[in-house]
Amino acid sequence: MKNTFICLAAVILLSTTVFAKELIQLPLEELARESVSPVFDINDSVRNRNIVTQKKYEGSVFYGWSLTEPIANVSKIGLSGYYHPSEDDAYGLMFIKNFSGVSYYAKQLFDQYKLDFTRAPSPEASLFFDYNLKAFYGKMSLSKNTVTNYHFFGSLAGGIIKYSHKTYPAIATGLGQKFYFNKKLSFRFDFRIFLNQAPIPFLKCEPGKHEGIKNSTADSCNEPAPKFSDFDERFTITSVIDLGISYLF
Amino acid sequence: MRNLKLLLAFCFAIVTASSEARTTRKVTQGRTSVGIKDTSLRQQLSNALALAQSGQYQPAAQALFNLVKRPEVQSERPQIKYILGKMLVAMGYSQVAAYQFVDVIRSDSNKYLKKSIEELSIVADSLGDDTLLNYAVSKVDVNDFPDKNKDMIYFRIGEIKLKNKNFEDAVQAFNRVNVGSPYNNQALYLKALAYLELKKPDPAVSIFQQLLEHRKGSGATDTNRVSALIGIARALYQKQDWDSSIEAYSVVPRDSFYWHDALFEQSWAMLRGARFRSALSNFQSLHSAYYEDFYIPESLLLRAIVYLYICKYDEMEKVLSLYNSIYEPVRLKISQFINSNPEPANFYMEFEKVIGAKQKDNNTTYKIPYMVLRSIREEGDVKRSLSYLKRVQDEKNKIETSGSFRVSGLGQYSIRVLNTRIKNTKILIGEMVKVHLQNMNDELKDLSEQASFINYERLSSKKDSAKKKIAGKDLPQMIDSGVDREFYVQNGYEFYPFKGEFWLDEVGNYHYLGTQSCE
Repeated sequence: MKNTFICLAAVILLSTTVFAKELIQLPLEELARESVSPVFDINDSVRNRNIVTQKKYEGSVFYGWSLTEPIANVSKIGLSGYYHPSEDDAYGLMFIKNFSGVSYYAKQLFDQYKLDFTRAPSPEASLFFDYNLKAFYGKMSLSKNTVTNYHFFGSLAGGIIKYSHKTYPAIATGLGQKFYFNKKLSFRFDFRIFLNQAPIPFLKCEPGKHEGIKNSTADSCNEPAPKFSDFDERFTITSVIDLGISYLF
Repeated sequence: MRNLKLLLAFCFAIVTASSEARTTRKVTQGRTSVGIKDTSLRQQLSNALALAQSGQYQPAAQALFNLVKRPEVQSERPQIKYILGKMLVAMGYSQVAAYQFVDVIRSDSNKYLKKSIEELSIVADSLGDDTLLNYAVSKVDVNDFPDKNKDMIYFRIGEIKLKNKNFEDAVQAFNRVNVGSPYNNQALYLKALAYLELKKPDPAVSIFQQLLEHRKGSGATDTNRVSALIGIARALYQKQDWDSSIEAYSVVPRDSFYWHDALFEQSWAMLRGARFRSALSNFQSLHSAYYEDFYIPESLLLRAIVYLYICKYDEMEKVLSLYNSIYEPVRLKISQFINSNPEPANFYMEFEKVIGAKQKDNNTTYKIPYMVLRSIREEGDVKRSLSYLKRVQDEKNKIETSGSFRVSGLGQYSIRVLNTRIKNTKILIGEMVKVHLQNMNDELKDLSEQASFINYERLSSKKDSAKKKIAGKDLPQMIDSGVDREFYVQNGYEFYPFKGEFWLDEVGNYHYLGTQSCE
């Protein structure tokens, strides 16, 4: 609470708001009385846009954080390129490279129970064709010194996810928002849900066949690591947050 | 619900036509025994009327049409034409019916003259055909008119008087339109306009207020209500009561089509009332990207004048150069088109490109700028003629899709009549467009001269200002002197032309925050 107050005070003190030397009084009848908008032949909500995307290309780099991934590394890094045929939609390709290793949670399991999930297949890379529907274009001002434009959009992607041993088809759907620093550069935020078939990283120890999770302390699982094909598969839903920087060419 | 209304309307039309056919039948039968000596012809007429009575209008009308051409029924022709006209009205072919009534009026038949004038007035009123209306009204004796239609005829008489600048008589005619009549609201509005033409703003204001009172229960954007609001503001402007006028203009609802006019006219009132900052606030809206297709040359000059008053010479220069870059080419194009196209049909062909268009089509080549054509499209006389043209075209389409009626003699005759009307109406609209273009050309010539004068004033004032500066009388420090221009540009505050984006919900809400730069 105290920190918040200090931050707010700092923002106010550092703000470069202009204080007029002369106070201009606006007559009451000139102030807005109605919440309705004027009627034109074409009632488009904005004209002379600051951010023009139509017939432009866009490139992005982003960091992805998998929210619901228990075992594999939750981090990934990606590159994407889009073409905007209109102000309403965009489509492009998205390549994602997963970080190697396992998650923090999987490391804990290893430390406490000696469960070695590095032997389970994990996602390595993905390639998606992504469609974006730019539903809203707007602007906001946080400090009253700058105005930031933003896009809010829905995304639908289809592609493949490559695991250590196999490649699976996948689809992803989500919502995203871009905040523009200027007419070209923006901060991009995406929330996506990936739906795909994937190997289950949990495999019971089967003495004599392969090592896995021990059923009891009496189990002896000193056999070689299981083959990736030993892992069962199931339909998996993963939610991911991407944070990145986009540039309009 | 809509279907029910249509059904009721249809039933009403049938009942009216049937009862009329029944009455006329009695008349016809009585006369046929005397007038038509040929038994077979008499039989044909009886058969036609019997068909009409049984609701078979199409064969009945066709039979009457065949009969009316026969020389043997010369003396009965007005009667048959009158019945044919009534039947065509019942069938929904008003324009073709009007021709029958005109024929009866021209034949000077005593018995059917008054009835035909009455029917023609009603049909012309529903069609909105000024030519037929003028013709009917010129022949009409109001005393012979049934009470139920008297309001319409007084209203139309008032309209014609107003058009002919006979304002006192127009007021008298509008006064006779009863309260509660469907013509009353329009009559009140036009009566107030007549008072304004007579330079009597006070009665005009009270009549507009009366109209406003009548429309109390209607929606905020009701056309009559908004017309009354803007009418009050205009009357107060004419009275030179600037502050009241500004206040009245600001009451015009933003979501009505009249609001754009109100915004511009209010700027004039603000200038006259020396409220320069307020006028500049309005110009920020009027010169936004939303108005790029609007023909409002005067507004740019008005803005330049306001800048002159507050000694913003740089801004003034920008506005004047913008005026020259937009409206000088417009003037040249209009002038070239008028000089190279003497025929009204050419004007209509060019104008046709914007009929029904909501925005400029980048694939169309406009010989006259889109903004000019769009502005002409909104002119009252053109709008009215376009509406009439649409009704005639709808009637033609109806006949063309009517199957057997289309190929009948009466159907072919109707198509010929309607084609002639369509052609003539297009020529008429072409003439209207030509007149409006000539007026615009004259206006732009005048405004160009004014732009030159304003520019001269700018240079002269700027020179005086520089002299004072050299003499050490420097300008006072401005409120914005320490702030980067970009700050204002991104927030849409001060400088012109504004570089940023325009949002629909912000149009009309801009406020000029600069102050005057004069010593």
